[in-house]
Amino acid sequence: MKIPYYPGCTLKSTAKNFENTTLAVSQALDIELIELPRWNCCGTVYSLSSDDLMHQLAPIRNLIRVQDMGYDNVTTLCSMCYNTLEQANQLVKSDPEKLEKMNSFMDREEDYAGGVDVIHYLTLLRDTIGFETLPVKNSLDGLTVVPYYGCLLLRPEEVSIDNPEAPTIMTDLLTALGATVIDHPYKLECCGSYHTVDYKDVVCEKTFSILSSAQERGAEAVVLSCPLCEFNLDFRQKDVEQELVPMPILYFSQLLAIALGINCDLGFDQHYVNPEPLLKKKGVLR
Amino acid sequence: MEIIRGYPDYMRESIENVEKTRPDRLKATFKAMTLEEREEILNQYHPDYKPEAKRELAFGPSKGQKVPHEVADLIEAHPLVTPDMVDLSQIDFDADILIIGGGGAGTVAALWAHYSGIPVENILIVTKLRHGDSNSMMAQGGIQAADRVEDSPPRHYLDAIGGGHFTNKPELVKALTIDAPKIIKWHEELGVMYDKDEQGTMMELAGGGTSRKRMHSARDYTGMEIMRTIRDEARNLEIPVIEFSPAVELLLDDEGKAAGAVLYNMETEQYYIVRAKAAILATGGFGRLHIQEFATTNHYGATADGLVMAYHVGANLIDLDSVQYHPTGAAYPEQIVGLLVTEKVRGLGAQPVNKEGELFVYPLEPRDVEAANLIRECYGRNNGITTPTGMRGVWLDAPMIDELHGEGTIRKNLAAMVRMFERFGIDMTQDPLLVFPTLHYQNGGVEINEQTETSIPGLFAGGEVEGGVHGKNRLMGNSLLDYNVFGRRSGIHAAEYVKKVTIGKLSLDHVVKYEKTMKNAGIKTDRKAPMVLPDYRGKQVLSRALNIF
Amino acid sequence: MAEEPLPKMIKVYIMGKEYEVPEGLTIMKAMEYAGYRFIRGSGCRAGFCGACGTIFRKKGEYKFQTALACQTTVEEGMYLTELPFVPANKALYDIDELTPSPQTIVALYPEIARCVSCNTCTKMCPQDLEVMDFIQAALRGDIQQAAELSFDCLQCGLCAARCPADIVHYHVGQLARRLHGKYISPRSPHLKKRNEEIEAGTFTEEMETLTQMNLEELKKSYSERDTEK
Repeated sequence: MKIPYYPGCTLKSTAKNFENTTLAVSQALDIELIELPRWNCCGTVYSLSSDDLMHQLAPIRNLIRVQDMGYDNVTTLCSMCYNTLEQANQLVKSDPEKLEKMNSFMDREEDYAGGVDVIHYLTLLRDTIGFETLPVKNSLDGLTVVPYYGCLLLRPEEVSIDNPEAPTIMTDLLTALGATVIDHPYKLECCGSYHTVDYKDVVCEKTFSILSSAQERGAEAVVLSCPLCEFNLDFRQKDVEQELVPMPILYFSQLLAIALGINCDLGFDQHYVNPEPLLKKKGVLR
Repeated sequence: MEIIRGYPDYMRESIENVEKTRPDRLKATFKAMTLEEREEILNQYHPDYKPEAKRELAFGPSKGQKVPHEVADLIEAHPLVTPDMVDLSQIDFDADILIIGGGGAGTVAALWAHYSGIPVENILIVTKLRHGDSNSMMAQGGIQAADRVEDSPPRHYLDAIGGGHFTNKPELVKALTIDAPKIIKWHEELGVMYDKDEQGTMMELAGGGTSRKRMHSARDYTGMEIMRTIRDEARNLEIPVIEFSPAVELLLDDEGKAAGAVLYNMETEQYYIVRAKAAILATGGFGRLHIQEFATTNHYGATADGLVMAYHVGANLIDLDSVQYHPTGAAYPEQIVGLLVTEKVRGLGAQPVNKEGELFVYPLEPRDVEAANLIRECYGRNNGITTPTGMRGVWLDAPMIDELHGEGTIRKNLAAMVRMFERFGIDMTQDPLLVFPTLHYQNGGVEINEQTETSIPGLFAGGEVEGGVHGKNRLMGNSLLDYNVFGRRSGIHAAEYVKKVTIGKLSLDHVVKYEKTMKNAGIKTDRKAPMVLPDYRGKQVLSRALNIF
Repeated sequence: MAEEPLPKMIKVYIMGKEYEVPEGLTIMKAMEYAGYRFIRGSGCRAGFCGACGTIFRKKGEYKFQTALACQTTVEEGMYLTELPFVPANKALYDIDELTPSPQTIVALYPEIARCVSCNTCTKMCPQDLEVMDFIQAALRGDIQQAAELSFDCLQCGLCAARCPADIVHYHVGQLARRLHGKYISPRSPHLKKRNEEIEAGTFTEEMETLTQMNLEELKKSYSERDTEK
């Protein structure tokens, strides 16, 4: 299948590993991801105030690009990009007057007709390939993980990719790949997001509570889908004051690549806590 | 008269001729002229060779030299500033090196003076317009340097001296050509985006009169790409620049050494006295004199100020009898008449053709020869096309380029030209361009030696203002090279010089002397010089002008 | 010269004042015809320097438009002014100390993160560049694309004058291009080699000979040299 792909800024730099592993996996699964030839920063969630249409332009402009490509759907990986694109999309779909205002302002673009669907990659995998039919060559058997959703995959409810109180999508994926998946109460907890810039301690508190809770329940690694969550749970471990055993944080696409036996650069050099020793110890990586 | 895709309907018939002959012309060649043939056509058709266009300078160190009337008019004119008008005892700026001119040569000089050990606060660039406003910014096609294996600096030397009719000063041509590769290397290190292939090999083209392809380019914005990069570097170093404040007269000290200049802030009408241990003239060319009433490719400030100021202090001039007319200035539409259509268009394979669609000249003759050929085709043989405003021109068959090198070549390599014509409804990937020679370059100027010294101690010169490098005709790509090579040398040598020199009492006595000399030579005139800026105000307005407040 | 018919005159508004000028002039020449003598606002007069950035509205239209005065023909009812100067902060850097990493540009010009993709800059650009796109490329660290898209920039300042995020696009583009030229574009191997040869004196003797040649020898060498096809 072919689907336009919206990368988002961090997937090209500090979360390049997230993109690379997904591209490799997609190729193996016969999913052709067509990167939008022109795209801009999604604007990121904080700028979305529903009357401030100027800030809605950024995400909608990307949906116009998808339209220009002749498609009616687009997939993305970063939770924040997914959330921003989808929130903006829903706003204009439900409010034709706002859409018209924005189209009128963006007078150098084709009008956005409201017909593009934004699909998170996890949803794409589940609904078009099916977790059960993934060609697992190298089972993650022996590895115990917790899924971590953070906020933006599930909230607000309108954009959620699963049941916002009791999601199972990541658990289902990881189970299908052979891993032992543990449930833990902090899987929906906010990581602290951009507080990491000015209020590091707030984030470190979260990092500690999320990771120690996971460890208490026997998890060896955390799996997620957002570069900012990754930074807060991974890099901020060095700033956590309390005692914490270093814990690897992984993108779902990295485990997916390993489980499907795909030979690609997993990008572990972009992590703070190197996942490789754990994965080798568990026999997941040779 | 209907306009069809930018051109008046009556020109379309001729354009059809061009299209008809194109398939055969793609493989056609035209024999280059011999040295004798070159001399003949120049004598008959080149504007420079009209004796009535020039006169001999009546006084001064270059007395007897033939220069265009427009230049002589500025030399035989009263200096703008006399000693009684300014107070030299109050110094506004003190510098080691004063650089007069904010174009390519001036900026390169400033950088190399700094690299040679002069602290930035002791360097001062003064300029008539903004830093970067210059002919340097406008150059399009390329800069020469013999860096390919198949090429060599001696070969470049031969090309340059032959193009100059063997009248160039040998040591200056040697400097120009042997320094060229290190200039390009320096540019690479600064981050100039030269056109390269994926392996880093520079893409180099031929120019008029070059026996090897050695024209380095950055699309057809070569001048702009280099100028803005060196300007960025000067800004990062915080080299002081005073804009809109041209020098209007040099200062000497009591021993006759260059000692600074009088500046005029055009916006506040205030003068400044700059004392300096050395001065570098980098004032550029003279296109805005509209020699023989030609339109020009030059920028707004190209008014020969440096020549005038140099002559006021007694520096000698060389080769000013030679004026370069670029063979291909735009001839249509009227709004852009005279503007440069880069030689790179011919370098990429486009041929000049007449109204019948015939190729009538080897496309890459040296500029003076090429220009003479185009003038003959229009005025001697009447094979040109006449525009609605009476301008004549021949076609430059640009669409050939895509046929020779693949679709998209024109858009990629001649972005500036595509844009310039597209603004007026002409698509040069589909239609030829109408061209005619235009006033372009000052081949000669203030004479220098290899160290860029003029005959006045402490007065150096680099770039278009100086003379002796190109002889009677400059080749394409040697002007961007000139300002880099001699701008660099002037910075280096001025830096050496200022370490040893002390400046005496500032003086404008040379102005008094100049006035006297002029009087004794029998010159009676109201003219004043330097010109500073041309005046294009409507005649109606000027006839009603009042100077009352 | 034959008598030329009188040109048709049209009305234009220069900084709010009505003037009659002949049809067919560029904005710059029309302003001079009307009696303005440029100190600021005229540079190369050929579309290469950005000195004559002009903003205008057409009679009866609300749309704000831009042009280069030297490359644009006046129209009846044009309501115009040139932009004489744009105050802009330029980051100071030593290009030798920088690296071509994705963070380099945003570290020197952090305000580019304020870009909301409103596209105002693109609409202002008289060179029709995709200004927003090159700022976005710079923002995510794609130096190559930022350099390519900004290449034809004249640094006229019209974009920076209207940007709601206070970005100075042309300085960002300049940095991207220098980074690209210096660090991303591969170095030219033959250039390096030729410089080493010159340094080693490979051509010294031949050059000496040439500078000593008399006119006849020079003419002969010149006429006999072969030209690459």
